[in-house]
Parts: sequence; structure tokens; C-alpha cells
Amino acid sequence: MSVPSSLKVGPNTTLILAKKRYLIFYIFLIWISIFTIQFEFWLYWNWLYGPTLTEPKVFIHFLLLLPFLVFVMYLTSILVSLFFAKVILVIINLIHKPREGVFLRHHSDKDYRYWSLRSTIKKWPLWLSHKFPFPFMNNICSKMFGIKTNYSNSLFEGWVDTEFIEFGKNIVVGQGAIVQSSVIFGNLFIIRKTIIEDNVMIGTQSVVMPGTYMKKNCILGGHSMTTVGQELEENWIYLGAPAKKFKKNVFYEDGLEEIIKNQGIGEIKTEARFEGLYTVRKDKEINSD
Amino acid sequence: MKQVIKKQMNSNPEKEKIDDSKVDYTIDFVTTSAISKIGYKFLVLYLPILWLSGYMTVAVFFDVSSYIPWYINMFLIPVWLFVLYFIFVFGIAIFTKAFILIINMLHKPKEGVFRAEEGDRDYEFWRLRVELKKIVFWFMNNGPLTWIVMWGFRWMGIKVDFSSHAQDSWVDERFIEFGRNVTVGQGAVVMSSQIVGRYLIIKKIFLGDHTVVGGLSLISPGTIMGKESVIGAFSATIPNQKIETGWIYLGPHFARKLKPNKYAEQRRDVIYEVRVDDEIKYEVKQEVNIDEDKKKLLNNNIED
Repeated sequence: MSVPSSLKVGPNTTLILAKKRYLIFYIFLIWISIFTIQFEFWLYWNWLYGPTLTEPKVFIHFLLLLPFLVFVMYLTSILVSLFFAKVILVIINLIHKPREGVFLRHHSDKDYRYWSLRSTIKKWPLWLSHKFPFPFMNNICSKMFGIKTNYSNSLFEGWVDTEFIEFGKNIVVGQGAIVQSSVIFGNLFIIRKTIIEDNVMIGTQSVVMPGTYMKKNCILGGHSMTTVGQELEENWIYLGAPAKKFKKNVFYEDGLEEIIKNQGIGEIKTEARFEGLYTVRKDKEINSD
Repeated sequence: MKQVIKKQMNSNPEKEKIDDSKVDYTIDFVTTSAISKIGYKFLVLYLPILWLSGYMTVAVFFDVSSYIPWYINMFLIPVWLFVLYFIFVFGIAIFTKAFILIINMLHKPKEGVFRAEEGDRDYEFWRLRVELKKIVFWFMNNGPLTWIVMWGFRWMGIKVDFSSHAQDSWVDERFIEFGRNVTVGQGAVVMSSQIVGRYLIIKKIFLGDHTVVGGLSLISPGTIMGKESVIGAFSATIPNQKIETGWIYLGPHFARKLKPNKYAEQRRDVIYEVRVDDEIKYEVKQEVNIDEDKKKLLNNNIED
């Protein structure tokens, strides 16, 4: 929410237009949300204060309530665009049901086309709710679009895809982190379900690829990345790109305050452990097959 | 080809096994700062802040514009929008500071290791302060002039000089000290708090004079950077790491010594020196795509 523009991972990451005519839905959503704002302001002006606005007492009332009105106008614009986007999405999902799998990244492929259409429709309400200073709007937005999530999660600093994602409780997505359920590899387009269980922490600027299954109490450190379809075990800390086991997560035990506090400067002797985190590319294996 | 990709998708990359018996309590990895844990009950405080600053801007507009004839006002609308935005932002900064002064009287912020659960007094107050400061930084970061966020940092209690630059990065709310002329790169995260499992660690960060933090790098709590040290792009320091003076560090997950920072010495002593006589002159022959019979003309020109 308060992340500077250079750290931001916007909602436009999913949007790749398969066909330009999908923009009609996008423009329609923008139009209808601005139209309702206009209507609201007109009501406020006419119905409440219309003829008597020149009187000084009424004018002060008008000024006092104007900041609230702006706030409410923004809120309604989100809710209206969200409602209409949901209606359109329900109709589209009746025509073609979204499903997991490996597809061709070409506009002749039906799944790719409909995925593009869905993300075009979601773009405007998502953008509005990301720009909203109150963070709960993101949770409402992603719940409406069909993510299983809880209000105890915080998904505001990074980017979370809006379909085929299942969240548990108490999850933290760090600043600039990305949780994906769809990814493009050259000509292939992959959708797989990402499941994240309770108490998981995703570190700063790390990437969770589609199909990742993160079990309870595991931590993915900062600057790390999972592979497609990777399983992270319970109670482990993972680091590296691709993520590897680093050590056991003992930080859910009680009474460690003193131990953590007494770790002085210069006690770190673990340089050698970090060598294992860097992987060599395996181009040769692929060529031999 | 498809089969190979499917194989790789289903296989787990980690094959080596690590001993389960050894229990390691050292924290030598980076997770996230505590800003992303949100308490919804604290959001109530946004309403008075937004309303007060919003009312201030609206009142200023109607009061001042009533003295100016309407056709000049119409001309000045873009200027008005620009000015009103900044009046709004500074209003938010002022009213938030007032709230924070009251909150700090109730509970003094301190360093240490705390439980990251509801009920812990330090954790709750940390979240409350972060929640309040976020709205200030949010409006400053989303405006047309992002460098005013440096003023915002200073106003909200981070020790920072106007000679340093950190406007393109996330900086936590307290316990951070900048020296002179510090540059923090784009997308870097300077965090003085970190959540690991059930624990919230808060420790002071010190960035010395003339230090440089590269783009997308992470500075975790307890880091001390000496004078003229450099942390490269996409690298991270682990908690309590000490960066020696005049060295360049690099590496994701854990910054390691790369080489001494000789660029800083140059900056210090040498007033740029260029010897014109010793300069090497390069001659480059280029092929030009023209007709054969006209190439003679071109060569003649060069010789002249």
C-alpha cells in the first residue's frame, strides 16, 4: 500500500492482451464507475443543498462534509466496478470454465484467450483498490474474484494473482513479493493452483511460482524463488533461487527472546552455508534428452 | 520437449538432506519487515486525519479563491490542483505527527525482541505507529514530487540529512540513522524491524557517511555500515552484520566482501585531472554502404 513506485508490483502484471476488442469491457467498467460518482455528487449538490447553497450557514455544512464525500465517492467507484466486473466474470465463466493445465500462448488457444479476457476485466477494480489508502479493500477485492483468503492475511505490499490461489490464516506477503498462479514460458502458458497454508511468511522481493505448495509454518526468505510445482515442507526455512532447505524453523517455540537478543556482532560463522544456495544451470541435461 | 518440462515441473530441486538433529537459533536470513502485519482497529485513526487535512485544503481553496474573479480562477485550475495536493499532504503530515506525539507519551518506543502476537504491548504500539506513518509516506510517494518523502522521514523521526537520498526505497518508521550524503537505490528496503516466526526483532540501523546501497537490496535490523562502504545491487545483509569502512559488499541473501572501495578515495582527493598530451587517439575505419564508383569521393574527403 505505501510502497514507493519503484518497489511496486502492479496489477498490470497479468495483463497480456490476446485481442484488442477485450478492451471494451475495460472501458465499460471505467465509464460505469465514473458515472456513479457523478451521479452521487449531483445528488449531494442538488438534493441536500441545491437552492440554498449561497447562504453562508449551508455553505459551511457543504465544506465540512466534502472530504467525507470524496472518500465515499472513491469507495463507491471501487464497489460499483467490482460488482459489474463480478457479473461479467460469472457470465464468462459460464461460457468457458477456467481450468489448470499447460496451454499454448497463442490467441487460437481458447484457455489463453479467456484468461486474457478475465485479467482485462479484473484490471480496473484491482488498480482502484490498490490505490486506496485503506488496505482492507484488497482483501475484499481478491475475495470477490475467488481467492480463498482470510482477513488476517496481509497481501498489500506485493502482488497476488486473482485466481487458483488458496490461502490459510496469518500469512505475510512481504514488500515487492509476487505470488503467481499463471506463468508464461516461451510458447507455453501454464496455470497451476498455488496453495499456501497457515503461518507462512513470504520474504521481501521473493517470487512464488504457480503450483507451489507451501505447508504450515514454513518461511521463504527474502530474494528467493520457488520452481513450478515445488513443495515446501512443514517447519523449514527456505532460501535461494530456486529455493532450498536452509534450516529448521524453530522460531515458533516459546521463550527464545534472550537467545535471539544475545546474538552479538561477529557471531556469524556461516559463510560456507551460503555457497550451496547458488545453483548451476542444467542446460546439458535438457539437450541430451 | 514437453516431456522434459513436465519432468522438471514435478521434480523437487533439493536432493541433499540437512541434519534434523542440530537446532540452530541464529538468525542469518532476511524475511520481511513488520509493516505488512496490519491491525484493522488502528485504521479508525485514518478518518480524523483525512477529514482534518481534507477540510483544511477545501477551506483554503474557498477562502482564497473568493478574492479572485472567476475567470482568473478558471485559468489557475491546474495550479490550484497542484497547490491543494501539497496542502493536503502537509496537513496529513502535521496531524499524524500530533497523534504520534500523544501515542509516544503513552508508550515509549524501544529496541529489543518481542512476541509478534496480539497482546504484546510493544508489538501493538509498533503496528499502530507504522499504520499512522504509512498514510503519510503513501501520499508523498504517490504524488508528483516524490522527494518530499525525505522531509517526511525527517519529520516522522528518522535521523536523516537533506544531503542523502532515499526517496525511491522503503524506509521503516524509526531506529534508523543516516550519515551525510547517503544514497539508497531504487527498490531497496531498509528495515529496522523484522518478523521471524513468532518474534518481532527491532534493532537500530546505522548508515555511515557517503555510503551507497544498491538497487533492490535489503538492509536488515542491526546492520552497521561504516564510512564509504558500498552494498551492491540485489544483495542483502543479515541481522547484526557489520560492513567495514571502505569496502564493497555483494551477494544475495548474505553480502560478502568483494573489494576495497577505491572509487571513494578518488572522490576524496583528486580534483579531476586530464592530461591532454598523453591522451590516446583512436582511428576507426568504417564501411559505408554506397556505390563502388562513388567510394573514391569519400576517401578523398577523409584525407583532406
